[in-house]
Amino acid sequence: MLPLISIVLATLLVGTVATFLAGARARWVALGTAGVFLAEVGLLFLAYPGWPGYNAQLVPGFAESESHAWIHLPWMQVNYTVGVDGISLVLILLTAILQIATVVYSWNESKNPAAYFGLVSLTCLGSFGVFVALDVLLFFLFWEAVLVPMFFLIGVWGGPRRRYAALKFFVYTHVASIVMLVGLLAVVFYSGATSFDFAAIDLAARGLSPVVQSFLFLALFFGFAVKFPIVPFHTWLPDAHVEAPTGGSVLLAGLLLKLGGYGLIRWAVEILPAGFAHDRALLFAAAFVSIVWGSVVSLAQRDLKRMVAFSSINHMGIVLLAIALDSSLGLLAAVLLMFAHGIVSALLFMSAGTVHHTFGTRDIPAIGGITPTTPALSTMLLAGSLASLGLPALIGFPAEFTALLATWNGLGYWVFLPLGILVVTAAFYIWTMQRMLFGPPRGIPVGTHDVAWFEGVGMGLLVALTVLFGILPGLLVNVITSSPVHGFPGP
Amino acid sequence: MSFSTLAGPLVPEILVLAAALLVFLLDVAGIRRREIVGGVAAGGLGVALLVVVADLGFGPLAFARGLPAGMLDVLPAAGSSPLYAFSSLGLVFQGLFLLAALLVATASLSRPSEERGAPIFYGLLLLATLGMLLVAVASDLIFLLLAIEVTSISTYVLVGYTRRDARALEAAMKFYIVGALSSTLSFFGASLLFGAYGTTNLYALIDEFRLGGGGGYPVLALLGYGILLAGLAFKTTLVPFHAWAVDVYDGAPDDVSAFLAGGTKKVGVFAFFLVFLGPVLFVRSGGGNPFSGAPFDLGPTLQLTLALLAVLTMTAGNVLALLQNEMKRMLAYSSISQAGYILLGIAIGTAPALAGATLQVAAHVLMKSGAFLVVGAAAGLGIGPRIADWKGLGGRRPFLAVAFALMLLSLAGVPLTIGFVSKFVLFSAAVQARGFFVWLAVAGLLNSALSVFYYARVLKVVFFEAPDPVPARSGDVVGAAGPAALAVGGLGYGRAVAIAAVAALIVAIGVYPQPILGPIQSAATHFLATGA
Repeated sequence: MLPLISIVLATLLVGTVATFLAGARARWVALGTAGVFLAEVGLLFLAYPGWPGYNAQLVPGFAESESHAWIHLPWMQVNYTVGVDGISLVLILLTAILQIATVVYSWNESKNPAAYFGLVSLTCLGSFGVFVALDVLLFFLFWEAVLVPMFFLIGVWGGPRRRYAALKFFVYTHVASIVMLVGLLAVVFYSGATSFDFAAIDLAARGLSPVVQSFLFLALFFGFAVKFPIVPFHTWLPDAHVEAPTGGSVLLAGLLLKLGGYGLIRWAVEILPAGFAHDRALLFAAAFVSIVWGSVVSLAQRDLKRMVAFSSINHMGIVLLAIALDSSLGLLAAVLLMFAHGIVSALLFMSAGTVHHTFGTRDIPAIGGITPTTPALSTMLLAGSLASLGLPALIGFPAEFTALLATWNGLGYWVFLPLGILVVTAAFYIWTMQRMLFGPPRGIPVGTHDVAWFEGVGMGLLVALTVLFGILPGLLVNVITSSPVHGFPGP
Repeated sequence: MSFSTLAGPLVPEILVLAAALLVFLLDVAGIRRREIVGGVAAGGLGVALLVVVADLGFGPLAFARGLPAGMLDVLPAAGSSPLYAFSSLGLVFQGLFLLAALLVATASLSRPSEERGAPIFYGLLLLATLGMLLVAVASDLIFLLLAIEVTSISTYVLVGYTRRDARALEAAMKFYIVGALSSTLSFFGASLLFGAYGTTNLYALIDEFRLGGGGGYPVLALLGYGILLAGLAFKTTLVPFHAWAVDVYDGAPDDVSAFLAGGTKKVGVFAFFLVFLGPVLFVRSGGGNPFSGAPFDLGPTLQLTLALLAVLTMTAGNVLALLQNEMKRMLAYSSISQAGYILLGIAIGTAPALAGATLQVAAHVLMKSGAFLVVGAAAGLGIGPRIADWKGLGGRRPFLAVAFALMLLSLAGVPLTIGFVSKFVLFSAAVQARGFFVWLAVAGLLNSALSVFYYARVLKVVFFEAPDPVPARSGDVVGAAGPAALAVGGLGYGRAVAIAAVAALIVAIGVYPQPILGPIQSAATHFLATGA
């Protein structure tokens, strides 16, 4: 049996350390790491679930799972247990795509490139770990391992208010992690499980009374909601996004927000079904508030990056709504939305970053009619915006359509709330694009160049994937629904 | 009687005492070279450590075993009131005490050889260690307090042994006065307990709680435990009995600070285990809960007091550490906050919590001795006492800086270090105990999040800030030597070996704690089963 997941982890670990030590060649090492990672993820997909080492006995439902004893005490068994199912596999693919796109996009990073690319790799290593970990301690280690590099990416490479933004990000997410950890420990010990393994907890926690489950679910939900982020725990996000360097924003929006969604699905909804059922009303309320608030505030922004940041809150609100529906279609929609938002927000943040250093500003009214000068940049920006508002044949469409369909099935006429918001947001996006891209040129400095080749390659990759998965969403759907959870058909 | 039953169990104590006497004899004979007396001390401590590890049942060292297996973790015969008894947990603590002393003794081999007072330093170090070893086998309150006195009196002198440094003398004086006060309190508390229970035997006291739930004189008992708590809290630097510690750690010679913070402080911890486990155990066995409201419900009252002291200690220690600008004072406050985590385990009083607290003690021995040894090395390299004086150490002394970074990361509880594992086990145990202990876990976790900031600040200074163009002040540093005087980048072999060993252990145990944690857990379980 080939321990494929451990091999991927080892690759990322070695690659990350090598990147830190590589000095001037760091970007090549980072690119190599990302490339090998992507190839290995391809192998994981090929192996899923028909890999020869597939061991359904070990952790039921998780392909290629591995388990080794780590800390074994009479009252506490911690194992190194890793495994993937369809949901984590799709998010792992997102991780690999974003790592390679970020490295390529940031090719010319001149401020301490070894540390920059090393931190990018470390963020992706941590995210991958979160998606494969099936043990409370292991999960928590990787969860925290994402926080630290992002803190440095914002605090060292960020904009003028970077220290404030980095600290705020750290304090918010760290306090949330602590609540989450106590919640998970409480799930373990209140359910009487002594093993920290996902499978053991999943089994034992079903015996808890709905009231206890509901309290524990609230603790876990708080931990994940800050990362999501759900209004009113979202205020770290706009600051962090605006101050972060473009690569940091891409990983923040593309990956870190997904950790919240994944954590909620895997470690709260799945483990505490009765608590979830008990607290669903709260989740709906939080989701609707986030959807409305994120979109309304996003309409009021003049800063392009801030606008994208707030629209992320809106999108993640839809993810929460889809999860809260507690149906297999809703779960499918949530995962699709996370994948789509990961690709599209990355594309939009890259475009915003390029706009910023091409025109010296991200103020939407200050620039206009940029298409004749920078046609490639305009194309990317437009592709990102259209995908974000859910144009058919782009990746946003299948995701949002599934989400709306699931909402209709689950909540009936409530669907008009997210639908109406989507229509307004779409109109606003188109109006913004119209002002920025077309019309009379405004605020374009003399000698403006179009995107650099590496920026073009980074963004072009994402545009291509937006189209590919927009036309063939079935590639993802089949993988996601092969997870034997929540009424999916299974492998 | 054969050797094994008469002297076998006390081989470590005998070895350390013999080494101490030998050091003083060498001094009288005029042999005062640091290499020789230091070698004797380190050798004695090292062999004693091996014997302790063998006594714990470590297979490969079975030949060195002095303690018959039948004497370990057994209750004394009914009616007998032994002065000392052997528990695996006591042996674990003996091992940790010996490790702390060994690290300091090894590192001190690298002090400049022209510096005087080596025999006094090593002799007192060994005598203090002897006292610590006796604490770990005590099973009678008076024996316990006398053993603590052996340690305390040795360390009072140790702080001022250089005799020329005014700050160290001031520190020694403070230490002595506070120490005398705390001893007085402890003995007074013990006398009140004798009045309440008619015995000072710890087994008998624990039985009182197991069977009778606190005896017939609850006011006297509460007063006795309260005063004893205050006395021991001074030794363990619990807030609000901590104020002396910062001045003493700051003023004492660096290596002595390492021994005080990393070693002798844990004597108080083990005394807490022995003295307060009875009351806490009584609560755990269902005798009451801390919020029952009855004023003389002794067990719950004491448990709540311990829990509050723990939270107060870690919070105050962390907040004050945030405000410090001098390295030794920052480390001193961080050491106070760590004592709070340890006390948390005692307040919870379950076997898992006891194991967590013991692992936290082990972590603290490594981290704090190591950090103060690094401070000593830095002083030897002419680096001043302020944190700002450490600018750019990462570039100039990478070995020292990386080792120091590992110690600080471990203190901050960063994963894959021993400091993370110990806190993880401790806080898991708090949640496992359920009820209001879950909130203790939250308090502890928030505190460890807070502590990250002051450790990170030091790391930033060490790695990311360029050194000042003007050389750091070295005038007020005790025993500053020329940088080129010693091998291994100015550290000397002894200190380099000690620091490297600490760094390696911090990471090794952090990555794979099972070999340490397994025995500690079973020792803690035995300890609770047999009482003392």
